[in-house]
Amino acid sequence: MIAVFTKYRHVFLVGLQSSIVYRWNFATRATFSLVHLVFVFLLWTAAFETQGTVGGFTLGQTLTYFVALLVLQFFISAFNEDYQISEEIRNGMINQFLLKPINYFIYRFTLFLSARLISGCLALVPVLLAAPLFLTRLDLPLAASHLWLGLPALFMSALIQFTIAYIFGLLTFWFLEIQSFVILSMAIEMVLGGQIFPLDLLPDTLFRISQFLPYYYQMYFPAAIFTGRLSDPAVIAEGLVIQAFWVAALLGLAHLLWTRGLRRHTAVGG
Amino acid sequence: MLHYFRLWLASMRYSVIRTMMFRADFIMWGLVEFFWMVVNIAAITVIYQHTDAIAGWTQYEMLLLIGTSMLIQRLLMGVFWSNLFELGRNIRTGHFDFTLAQPGNLLFMVSTRKIDLDSILNVLVALCVVIYSVRQLGIPPSLAGMVSYAFFVGCGLALSYSLLLLVVSSTFWIIGSQGVEGGYFTLYEFSRLPREAFRGAANVIFVWVLPCVVMTNAPARALIDGFNPGYTIWLLAATIVWFSLAAWVFHRGLRRYSSASS
Repeated sequence: MIAVFTKYRHVFLVGLQSSIVYRWNFATRATFSLVHLVFVFLLWTAAFETQGTVGGFTLGQTLTYFVALLVLQFFISAFNEDYQISEEIRNGMINQFLLKPINYFIYRFTLFLSARLISGCLALVPVLLAAPLFLTRLDLPLAASHLWLGLPALFMSALIQFTIAYIFGLLTFWFLEIQSFVILSMAIEMVLGGQIFPLDLLPDTLFRISQFLPYYYQMYFPAAIFTGRLSDPAVIAEGLVIQAFWVAALLGLAHLLWTRGLRRHTAVGG
Repeated sequence: MLHYFRLWLASMRYSVIRTMMFRADFIMWGLVEFFWMVVNIAAITVIYQHTDAIAGWTQYEMLLLIGTSMLIQRLLMGVFWSNLFELGRNIRTGHFDFTLAQPGNLLFMVSTRKIDLDSILNVLVALCVVIYSVRQLGIPPSLAGMVSYAFFVGCGLALSYSLLLLVVSSTFWIIGSQGVEGGYFTLYEFSRLPREAFRGAANVIFVWVLPCVVMTNAPARALIDGFNPGYTIWLLAATIVWFSLAAWVFHRGLRRYSSASS
């Protein structure tokens, strides 16, 4: 057990180092996100112009939701993990993992965690620098007892995000190019994950349906807990159960694709 | 002039043949772009479930604005995007030599090598969104309205082209211009907002300094309110200034180009 832990601890440390190499990349990305935040502020301020609340929430609460999304994104979103995995399969780089006592999924997930730790912390820098400009417009939720429930939700969200990216990467066993799949699914994830608008603004039936889809648990769920849009402990508990189901289902699918994919795989290069 | 038109037709024919070779790819990318348009429309529809106006614009006025923004963007994607994107890459790798050796106007040669049929297909979808909004708004179709709309969209396309050329030309000076794509999409988001939504510093930057707001607001307002001389002059002046600037920077950059080791 300890040996296994040490093995992946080294992967984690190497991952940290190689992510630091891309610090400017992450910083640029975070800055672009701030420009996107300006767009979000303008749009929603205009939408609230004639009324105090939209969907039962104030402008401050809505803006807080989007700022939370921005920060969380750098901590839990999959960035280019799908392409990296796809690259490794195409170039035959995965062959070395087939010969070693390393689980490719855990190896990749460890790298993902280290990369997100770095990108998350780096993204905080421009956000904190710009914070004086928008802090007064936010409506931070008061310290509530249920906020800690956001932590398991956050971890499972990261796991879902990564596993979906991993699954897309594995499609390379069957398809030469995965970019169009990824961008197509990104559009769906953006909407159903609550990145375009808070999902609770959907009509009731659609909102209820969205709660049974994995996308809801990619982003909206933890963000809604942290910003107080979801505050009923019973609802959160139900969400955590469905989220756990999706984690298991996606992990199962990833495992299936991996074993099936390897059967098709011909180790070229390496 | 006719000569250049023939050249363009030839590259179009080449693009069609190429696309038909990779049919699945064509369908997939067409779907991708279509989905992204649906995303934008869905966002607006949801917001209007809860409010009557965004910065004074009603739902279908807003849809018209978004349709116009898509129309310009799809045109840019279809006609110029991959050409200019390749230009950046070619400057970096030295493959630009090949283009330099061709007889003809360099900027024309650089910008019209191929077209993306999937985007062109989605131009039709964007056009449907525009027509649908116009019908919902109950605007009577008039020749003057349509002509000025088409003219403004043309200006918008020229403006987008100039901005993209400007950014890509920076490759002559700085080697890595990744993030260009991300930057463009982030900036282009603002073209989906009504001008009235901009306040303070955002108003100065996005409405007055950068042309991303005027390029969509002018055509949309032209259909809603009819011909507006103020917008016409503004848009025309912006187009001329930004295009001249982009062409100038491109030619300045050209002087620096010294090929790459082969």
